[in-house]
Amino acid sequence: MLTNADFLALAGEPGKFQAKINMRPRYIDADACTACGLCTQYCPKHQVDDYNEGLALTRPIHIDYAQAVPATYYIDPASCLHLQHDTCQICVPVCQSHAINFKQQPEERILEVGAVILSPGFGKIDTKVLEKFSYGKHPDVVTAFEYERMTTASGPFMGEIKCFSDGRHPRSMAFIQCVGSRDIGCNNGYCSSVCCMYAIKEALVTKEHDPEVDITIYYMDIRTQGKDFDAARERAEAIGIKFVRARVAGVTPWDKSLKLTYSTFDGQHKFVSHDLVVLSVGLESPKDAAKISQLTGVALNKYDFCATETFQPLQTSREGIIVAGAFQGPKDIPESVTQSSGAAALAAAVLRDQRGKGVVLKTYPDEQQVTPDDEVRVGVFVCHCGINISSVVDVADVAKYAGGMEGVTYYTESLYSCSQDAQEVLKQKIKEHKLNRVVIAACSPRTHEPLFQETLKDAGLNRNLFEMVNIRDQCSWVHANEPAAATDKSRDLVRMAVAKARHIQPLAEQTVPVTPRALILGGGVAGMTAALTLADQGYPSVLVEQGAQIGGNLQNLNYTLAGDQVAQHLKGLVDRIKKSKEIEVITNAELLQTAGFVGNFSSIIESGKGKTKKEQTVDHGVIVVATGGHEHRPDKYLLGQSKKVMTQMEFEKQLTGRAKNRAPGSIVMIQCAGSRGDDLSYCSKVCCNHALKNILKVKAINPDSQIIVLYRDMRAYGMAEDAYLEARKMGVVFIPYEVDRKPEVSQKSHQVQVSFFDSIMQEEVIMAPDLVVLSVGIVPDGTEKLSKLLKLPVTANNFFLEAHVKLRPVEMAVSGVYVCGLAHGPKPVDETIVQAQAAAAKAAIPLVKGFVTVDPIISCVDQDQCIGCGLCTSLCPYGAIEMKKVDKKRKAETITASCKACGICASHCPTFAISMGGFTNEQLISQIEAFGDRPKDMVEVA
Amino acid sequence: MGKAMNHREGSVMVLGGGIAGIQAALDLTELGYYVYLVEKSPAVGGVMAQLDKTFPTNDCSL
Amino acid sequence: MSDKQFNPRILGFLCNWCCYAAADAAGISRFQYPPNLRTIRVMCTGRVDPSFVLRGFIEGADAIFTGG
Repeated sequence: MLTNADFLALAGEPGKFQAKINMRPRYIDADACTACGLCTQYCPKHQVDDYNEGLALTRPIHIDYAQAVPATYYIDPASCLHLQHDTCQICVPVCQSHAINFKQQPEERILEVGAVILSPGFGKIDTKVLEKFSYGKHPDVVTAFEYERMTTASGPFMGEIKCFSDGRHPRSMAFIQCVGSRDIGCNNGYCSSVCCMYAIKEALVTKEHDPEVDITIYYMDIRTQGKDFDAARERAEAIGIKFVRARVAGVTPWDKSLKLTYSTFDGQHKFVSHDLVVLSVGLESPKDAAKISQLTGVALNKYDFCATETFQPLQTSREGIIVAGAFQGPKDIPESVTQSSGAAALAAAVLRDQRGKGVVLKTYPDEQQVTPDDEVRVGVFVCHCGINISSVVDVADVAKYAGGMEGVTYYTESLYSCSQDAQEVLKQKIKEHKLNRVVIAACSPRTHEPLFQETLKDAGLNRNLFEMVNIRDQCSWVHANEPAAATDKSRDLVRMAVAKARHIQPLAEQTVPVTPRALILGGGVAGMTAALTLADQGYPSVLVEQGAQIGGNLQNLNYTLAGDQVAQHLKGLVDRIKKSKEIEVITNAELLQTAGFVGNFSSIIESGKGKTKKEQTVDHGVIVVATGGHEHRPDKYLLGQSKKVMTQMEFEKQLTGRAKNRAPGSIVMIQCAGSRGDDLSYCSKVCCNHALKNILKVKAINPDSQIIVLYRDMRAYGMAEDAYLEARKMGVVFIPYEVDRKPEVSQKSHQVQVSFFDSIMQEEVIMAPDLVVLSVGIVPDGTEKLSKLLKLPVTANNFFLEAHVKLRPVEMAVSGVYVCGLAHGPKPVDETIVQAQAAAAKAAIPLVKGFVTVDPIISCVDQDQCIGCGLCTSLCPYGAIEMKKVDKKRKAETITASCKACGICASHCPTFAISMGGFTNEQLISQIEAFGDRPKDMVEVA
Repeated sequence: MGKAMNHREGSVMVLGGGIAGIQAALDLTELGYYVYLVEKSPAVGGVMAQLDKTFPTNDCSL
Repeated sequence: MSDKQFNPRILGFLCNWCCYAAADAAGISRFQYPPNLRTIRVMCTGRVDPSFVLRGFIEGADAIFTGG
């Protein structure tokens, strides 16, 4: 990790690049600095704090935030008195660890690397663009980035929202969307794709802080096209956040507040006053984009983002250089994370022969022996989680209460117990107080247990000597209005956890080798890309396709919005698959059964039909689910009943044909036909762009064609906004409709009639176009069946649910299973390709390791007590207990690799011979006892 | 990742230490490659470290 | 205290993979429910020995909830 470093030059070629880096001095010795913060307290000079968006002051010697990595302070040479004027040096004697070193010099380093990934992020909109909204003139106009810091509990105002002008709490607030985006005035014609989401988030957070505040979001289109994003918008509307479709002309100071002038789509001009105005500023290409392009030779697009192609979304114009994140185009966190994993896979392919040659394996200290005879020393750590927990639960009270329990030798609170510095504190306290059990009361063990267990290992403690109490997801968040009861519940849960912790014993780690092969379900673009990406890294896979040939939905597409010829790319993919020695394709095939676990799956595949039907068993280490989806055909709008009504996909086929009147003179397109609150509750993300793509094609064939698009929100996010603008310039009419006033399609003699309410003219309109084209949604294929087969969770809309929406977007909760493409959610082809590359990167991780560690929470049979009745063997749903002859007697034995830790065997064993690691009878009984063991003074609170 | 020789076989430079760069670096490390994560500011984390909560689940972003 | 509303104490056994996950999901979407439940996480409700349920009643639970 090289921080405070500038990239200067790049020479060489793929596999052998030389990068020149300039390491600027921190003036602090990173190894000596303990991040105690004493230096900042003594530093006499003030400077504006950029980390807090200039909303606070800091000193030249500082650290941006407590959880920063590396946790080393640094001196800003631009404002330090010593470095500027050769005076001061107060910090030098103050620092107890003698870490300050003004003699540090810049250091140039040449890095020899095989591949380069560009992830420089995004730039911010020039403040000049914001001036018409009185930004810089009136203190109560802030950008969304500044507002983010204002709402943050660990921010400069501890999350208290105030107007800067006079410190009052705002009663009414406005969010103005598309500031510096979709605005050709500042040469940012594109849509920034994230602002709608963050505005809704910030509005929801504001309501959490103060339910009384009145919030209006002024927008042109709400583009919450991501997976399950519409639901958040509906939640925002439900709690009273107002959405006004309008273009804001300007903001001017008005008395004590601000006057906002806007025009609505029906041509009215209005003005309204707000106390605080938040500008939803867009994302720009990074400020140093031109320099990066010059140094590396990668091409940029017209908006200075890195230029890439639909079918190679992460490949820059220069081989060996890969792009990820917002530099590739504005995007949100999950998509950035997905791109990064995809980029890792591509870089790994460039360097496949050098894998493992330069890495250093992490080592852990020797494990401290803990025996049942040792004194129990429990440490309890109660987390504030910013304000997520502490705004409801009295954290100090819970921690103090824990301190009085039997066996507890240490207790404390922490602001974010998952942060890097908190891990250091945890390690230190384990050593200092000789703790041999750790209880953390914070969020869910389902997400954070592995993190803390890793820290335990680092501290030389067996990772099972740990128990987590969920006082956030299952307490503060769900009892937000009952602080006393929530505190009481937290006390109870902590008491139960400590009781269990007293009985926890260390468990030995077990490892099992991995079968280095992937099973990929679905032979569409997602499955094919995943297979090829794995093959490029050197791993074989079996590709299972339900249909007669591979290709999936790409077979129905002809061209893309960017102008790519789909058939050509599809042929390229299929040819590569056929040539690859690493990929075995099974068509007309279906997965019947899967057993095993990450690293050691075994599946039965049925293929062929009739007489050629056969079953085969495939052993594999990982599974990539790429089962795809298909067009949803709503049973309305005369679809399938009239030849004059068709879907966008059918229309695309017609347009690429040769028929004379394939692009008729009058066309009405209906967006969200069957989606967003109709048959399907969600947005399918691709339909708006699909409509735009076909519109431009129609106009190319028949420029005189009159096209009307009836829409809810045109979600032409990212660079597709250019196509939306182009369509409008060509005279295509876009008319929004409300969900409670949907357009209707009816048959009248030979004509098809569309009736709708024109919200621009404010009147009912009936038209008889030559053609009605429906933008229908996407539904997943067979996720219900597969979810039962592989025990994978699905969302309410039947798409597969990823392990973590933000940080683990292609992994499933079941380890060793990864998801990509339409099976995960509706998305266009470039995003599908990236996701498949990311899934292939994640799937390769266990294959690279070569072994997996089995969670030691599995069952264990005490063969002395076992009477060989076989009850457990017959009950085990995973076939993970077998009967063996031991000294001529029948005894049960667990098959380590297959056990899922369900515990059915343990609860049915008549002689209590089976115990479950981490969930022994003793531990659970003590937890139940602690449930009943309530101190008397607490009874009244409940 | 620590201090390192300037030439190691199988290494990748990741330019930019925001969430994208960090994720790429972590995945590459797990895939068996040595990574130089080059960041111009004094700490990695990028913009995500400035965020309070994330959409749509409002989880803490740090 | 005679007019005090019945305020049961409920002990719950939640399966890590489904009910516990659902309880987390309820939190993520800020779904509000009464604070009368105290939970014990198990890897599967198959782990719940009938004696655990009886033990719960002995310890003063008004109701036992198993979710899996």
